[in-house]
Amino acid sequence: MAGERPVVATFAAPADAARAIGALRAAGFRVEAAMPAPFPEVVAALGRPRSRLGLVTFPGAIAGLVAGTALTVGTSVAWPLVTGGKPIVSIPPFVIVIFELTVLVGALVNLAAVAVGSLGGARREAAVSRPRAVEDRVAVLAAGADREAARRILREAGAEEVADA
Amino acid sequence: MTASDSFRSIEETVRATHGRPGLAYWLGLALAGGLAAFGGWAYSLIVRTGLHWTGLQRPGMWGNLITDFVFWVGIAHSGTLISAILYLFRARFRTAVYRVAEMMTVFAVMTAGLYPILHLGRPWFAYWLFPYPNQRELWMNFRSPLIWDVFAVSTYLIVSTVFLLVGVAPDAAALRGRATGWRRRLYSFLAFGWHGTDEQWRHYTRAYLFFAAFATPLVVSVHSVVSWDFAVSVLPGWHSTLFPPYFVAGAILSGVAMVITILVPLRRAFRLEDLITPRHLDMLARLVILTGLIVTYSYATEILLAAQEPASDPERSTFLYRMTGPYAPVFWTMIACNCGGPILLLSRRVRRSTPALLVICVAINVGMWLERFNIVVTSLSHDRLPFDWRVYVPTWVEWAVTFGAFGWFFFLFLVGLKLLPPVSIAELKEEAAHLAAHAGAEEASRGR
Repeated sequence: MAGERPVVATFAAPADAARAIGALRAAGFRVEAAMPAPFPEVVAALGRPRSRLGLVTFPGAIAGLVAGTALTVGTSVAWPLVTGGKPIVSIPPFVIVIFELTVLVGALVNLAAVAVGSLGGARREAAVSRPRAVEDRVAVLAAGADREAARRILREAGAEEVADA
Repeated sequence: MTASDSFRSIEETVRATHGRPGLAYWLGLALAGGLAAFGGWAYSLIVRTGLHWTGLQRPGMWGNLITDFVFWVGIAHSGTLISAILYLFRARFRTAVYRVAEMMTVFAVMTAGLYPILHLGRPWFAYWLFPYPNQRELWMNFRSPLIWDVFAVSTYLIVSTVFLLVGVAPDAAALRGRATGWRRRLYSFLAFGWHGTDEQWRHYTRAYLFFAAFATPLVVSVHSVVSWDFAVSVLPGWHSTLFPPYFVAGAILSGVAMVITILVPLRRAFRLEDLITPRHLDMLARLVILTGLIVTYSYATEILLAAQEPASDPERSTFLYRMTGPYAPVFWTMIACNCGGPILLLSRRVRRSTPALLVICVAINVGMWLERFNIVVTSLSHDRLPFDWRVYVPTWVEWAVTFGAFGWFFFLFLVGLKLLPPVSIAELKEEAAHLAAHAGAEEASRGR
């Protein structure tokens, strides 16, 4: 953020925060926000691309599927005891275990992915974090060369408080 | 009321639920803990001195303990239905009630999971059910329904717990600010580094969608797997392709009835009437009607299919035994509770009367436990060989373990209520902001 001097403002109404974000982005500022819930108008105003968590979660689920297949087929072949006159490798019952492991590993990888994303996000975006932004306010951070212009836009949009980040 | 006033009001209401507990709470906790301890002691009799404490005798080797397992797995289902499936369908009424349903799911699976272990006879060998490398290179039999249960129930417990805790993170961050002492440490831990930044929300909302997408087929699979414990055998009354959908619908019926049974006293005791409104109860009651009608249809299908068979057919004989034999009171009480209860709710007046709704839902819970008993016990008591028929009667030890499970579940739930927010603060704030913006727009258009 060299050369950028961010300011942070807090808003009581998500609609005001969304208006400020739209104006700041139009004026060329880099904008971040923190809020107690994912308010649709704020999320839309920020215009962030969709999270690519699926790129991690989907391979995680596939890994679960492969692990389930390897476990059921591999252990049955390693200890080939015929039960109920059924084939050693009986695919229909194995599908149940394979499905459960697909869901389990997929969900755990999804958890790990969101944990890394969230913790990484917390480190990167610490400047916008405000205690009340998880309670009842929307915090908006604007970074750019013209700090005064940012302050003016934020105040005009209805910011309660504008301060240096 | 502005959006931020609504946010504060929601938080204050939730914080108040974590205040100093009253006498009723302590009495409830003592009763639940006492029941759980008594059930545990009764079970210890079986472990210390043997199965003669139970009414289990050939051919009826499954009784109350397996009935309890199936019942509690069923109870666990509505949590995922309400939190995951209704989330995917964007049903807004779930917002106020899904946290209680999720907590109920986790505690009900923790209760259900005890029973297969208790039923092993030698519970200290429960780890044999999991695959682990050993020097004899022995592996489990993946063709056995018992192993399917182990994988399905374990996966369900882990995924439900993760789903619950991920949902709690933003709420814990909201409560962290004004908490002190151990509660602040607890919320800081549960918040998991949450600051509500847009980057965090971006990943979080996506991850939540994936959790819901994983949990939805999982909820269908788990009770289907439980139904296959029965359906893959050749016993009359069990060997039916109807079982998976029948079990899933029954599970959701019992689970939603249990959610209502818990919510009605909870919203009053913790003054949550403004957040959990009669509309929410009404919507849940409609789910009871829907699933109740599916269960009624399944009962009718089972009976009609059996009635079409010739008089000598074991399937027909088993169903006649259920309806007219020594277990007939169980069968007809089950029909009255599970078919009659939901039909009564078709009346809007009955549905909107909170006491009537509570009574009907308690009756459905009783009916669903009896349904599990009816399935598990009557088929074993009246199999294909008449010389083998024998009536199973649970002993006081088995009843103690059954009621002990209710004690264990409610003990966990009462403790959980004091530690976790019973409603989703973040989602209610989103809803409140939506309503405030809507009201503002309406006012502006009126002003014009």
